[in-house]
Amino acid sequence: MEIKSRQEGNVTVLNLQGRLDLASGSVLKEEIKKLFEQQRNSVHLNLADVEFINSSGLGALVSIMKEVRLQKGRLTLSNLASYVQEIFDITQLSHIFEIFATEQEALGSYQPVTAN
Amino acid sequence: MNDVIERIGELLSTLQSPDFYEREVAVKELGSFTSNDEAVAGLVMALEDADLGIRELAADFLVKTKGPIASQLLIRFLGNEDIGTRNLAAEVLVRIGKEATPALIEDLATNEDYDVRKFTADILGLIKDERAVEPLVQRLWDENMNVVCSAAEALGEIGSPAAIPGLVAAFEKMEDVRLPAVEALGKIGDKSCLESLYDWLKTDDPMILFAVIEAIGALGNAGSAAQLRPYLEHEDRTIAEAALGAIIDLSRQNEGRIDFELPLDRFVDYLFEGVRKRDPRLTEFTLRRLNHWYGRDVVSHMVDVLDDVEDEALGRLIETLAQIGNSAADMLLEKFAAASPKVKGVILDVFKQVVDENIARALLRYADDEDPDVRQKIAHILGMSGLAEATEVLKGLASDPIGHVRSAAYAALGWLGGEELIEFLCRGLDDKYPDVREAAVGALIIINGQRVVQKFTEDLYHTEVERQRLAVNALGLIGDAAVVPPLINAINHPEAAIRKSAILSLARIREVSDVQPLVVALNDESASVRKAAVTALLQIEGPGRLDECRYLLEDEDVWVRYHVINAVAEYGTADHAELLLRYLDDPQDIIKIAVIKALAELRYVPAVPKLSVLKDERNQDVIDAATRAVRAIQGR
Repeated sequence: MEIKSRQEGNVTVLNLQGRLDLASGSVLKEEIKKLFEQQRNSVHLNLADVEFINSSGLGALVSIMKEVRLQKGRLTLSNLASYVQEIFDITQLSHIFEIFATEQEALGSYQPVTAN
Repeated sequence: MNDVIERIGELLSTLQSPDFYEREVAVKELGSFTSNDEAVAGLVMALEDADLGIRELAADFLVKTKGPIASQLLIRFLGNEDIGTRNLAAEVLVRIGKEATPALIEDLATNEDYDVRKFTADILGLIKDERAVEPLVQRLWDENMNVVCSAAEALGEIGSPAAIPGLVAAFEKMEDVRLPAVEALGKIGDKSCLESLYDWLKTDDPMILFAVIEAIGALGNAGSAAQLRPYLEHEDRTIAEAALGAIIDLSRQNEGRIDFELPLDRFVDYLFEGVRKRDPRLTEFTLRRLNHWYGRDVVSHMVDVLDDVEDEALGRLIETLAQIGNSAADMLLEKFAAASPKVKGVILDVFKQVVDENIARALLRYADDEDPDVRQKIAHILGMSGLAEATEVLKGLASDPIGHVRSAAYAALGWLGGEELIEFLCRGLDDKYPDVREAAVGALIIINGQRVVQKFTEDLYHTEVERQRLAVNALGLIGDAAVVPPLINAINHPEAAIRKSAILSLARIREVSDVQPLVVALNDESASVRKAAVTALLQIEGPGRLDECRYLLEDEDVWVRYHVINAVAEYGTADHAELLLRYLDDPQDIIKIAVIKALAELRYVPAVPKLSVLKDERNQDVIDAATRAVRAIQGR
C-alpha cells in the first residue's frame, strides 16, 4: 500500500492507495506513530484509493483510533468505497470513527477552539 | 337612479328587521352600492347590529369602500359607549389604512372628547402614514396626558425622524411622557437623537434608564457601546442586563464588533435564560462566544438548556461541548443522572467523542438506564473506551430485552476484543433479530483468529441458510489467507448464493494459489455463479485467463454473455475483439450494444465497416452506440 502524506493546516492528511491488510496496516500504524512523535495528532485518512481492506487492516484502524484517543487527538476518514463501508457497517465501527463523504467535508470539520 | 335610491331606502329599513337573514341580505346588497353615501351610512349602522356575523360583514364592505364618507362615519363610532362597536370601528379604520388618514387627522385636532383623540392617535400609529407626523407632534402638547402618550407611541410606530425634535422637547418638559417618548425614539432609530439619549442616561428613574439603554441599543451606533459599558456593573440587575442586551444589539448591527471585554461571567444566568427561551439575539450571541468562554458555570448552563433549544442550537452546543472535551466531562457526569432521556443522549454523544477510561468507568453504573437508546449509546461508548471492566456490563447488555441494545453490546464487545469472548459472541449468532446476529458477526470479524475462521467454516454448512449466508459473508470480510481454503471449498456449496459469495470474496482477496476450482465454476449450473467465476478468474490471474472464459460468449444466459463481453472490453486485446465481431449480429440488442461498446473500448479499427452498417438498425440506442463507437475508434 502506498501512503502519501501532506499537511492541511493542523491536520495531517494521509492518502492511502492499494490494499489495507496485516502488512500495510502495520506500516500505517508506524507512520501515524511517527506523526504523534511530532505532536501531529489530528489525522485524516482518505480511503478513496483503498481497494481492499480485511479484518487485519480493520484491526490496524481500530488500534490507530485507540492510540489517537490516548493522544487526545482526532482521526477522521473519508471516501469509503461501498465494500469498505460494508465492513464498517457490519462491525458498527461507523459509530466509533468519524466518517465523511469527502476529504473536504472532513477537513472543514476541524474547527480550532481558542483556549479558555 | 330613483330606483336605486328607493331600493337603498328599503334596505336601510330592512336593517331594523328582527329577522337575521333579512338583515344579512340587506347588508350584502348595500355592499354592492358603496358608491352611494346612504348605502355606506347603512353599512356603518350595521356595525351596531346585534349579530356579530352581520357586524363583520358590514366591516368587510366598509374596508372595501375606502371612501372619506366611510372614514368620517366610522370616526363617530370611536366615541361609542359600547366598547365592541368602538373597537370594530377602529379595526375597520386601520384596515382602510391611509385613505382614512385625512379624516382621522381632522378628528385628532378637533374632537373635544380626549378619549376619542387618544383612540385616533392610536389608530394613526397603526396606519403608519407620515402625513400624521406633524398633527401627532402637536398632540404631544395636548392637555390630556393619555393623548400625549398615545401620540408619542404613534410617532414611534410611524418611525419618521421628523418627530424627533418634538419627542425630545416633550421628554424634557413632561415627566409622564418620558417613557413613551424614549421608546418612540428607539423605534424611529435615527442617530440624531443619540446625544439626548446619552444625556438622559443620567436619570434617577430606573424605568426611564432601562428604556434609554434599550433605545441606544436599537439605534445601532457602534460607538454607543462605550457609553453603555458602565451600566454593565449597575447594582440593579435589570439595568445591567438591559445594558448587555443593548450592547449585543449594537454588536449584531456592527458585524459582531465590540471593542472591550464583556464581563460575561456576571451574565451567565441572563444569557442562558435567553437561550432557553429561544431569544434569537441572545442565543446567537451566547453560542458564538462559547468557543472561548466555557468555565464550569457555563458548561453547567449549557447542559441545563439542552432540553429547550432548537436543533441548530443543540448541534452547536454538542459541538462546543465535544470541543471543550474532557474538561467538561465531570460536569456532564454530574448532570447525567438527573437529565432527561434527550439530554442523556446529547451528553453521551459528547462522551463518544472524548471518551476515556475514567468516563467509561463512571458510565458503568448507568448501563441499566430505563431508556434503551441511552443503554445503546452507553454500550457503544464502553466498547470504544477499551475499558476491560466494561466486558461484564456489556455481556449483560447483550441479554437486554431490546434488540438494538443487544446489537450495540455485541458490537462493543468486538471492539474490546479478546479471543476469550469468541464463545460468548457466537451466542449472538442465534439471536432472533438479524441486526443482532450481524453485530455478533461483526464482532467476530474484528476479533478474527483461527477459532473464528473455524466457527464460520462450520457455519457454511449450518442447517439454516441465513447462517450460511452470514458465514460466507464473514469469511469474505475477514479476508486474510486463512479464509481462502474454506472459501475455495464453498465453491462446491449446494447453495448457489453461497457459491457466488465465496467466489466474489476470493476475487477481492486474490491470494488464491490454485484457481482450478474457479475454472470449474465457469460451468456452474447457476448463471450468477458463472459470472462471478469470470470476475474472480480475471481479477486474480489477469487477462491471461480470458481465453478460458470465451466459450461463455455462447452461454445460454444472456447476462453471462453480456458479462463476458464486458470482461473482454476490460481485459481483452485486438485478438479478443475479433471474436466479438460476429456478435454484432446477435438478435438481442443488449448484446449488440455491449459488443459495440467493447469494440470501441478496444479501439478495434477493423470493426468500423461493420459498425457503420448498423446505422440502418431499427433500435435508436444501437445506432447511437455504433455512431459513438466509430468516432471513438477513429479518434474523433
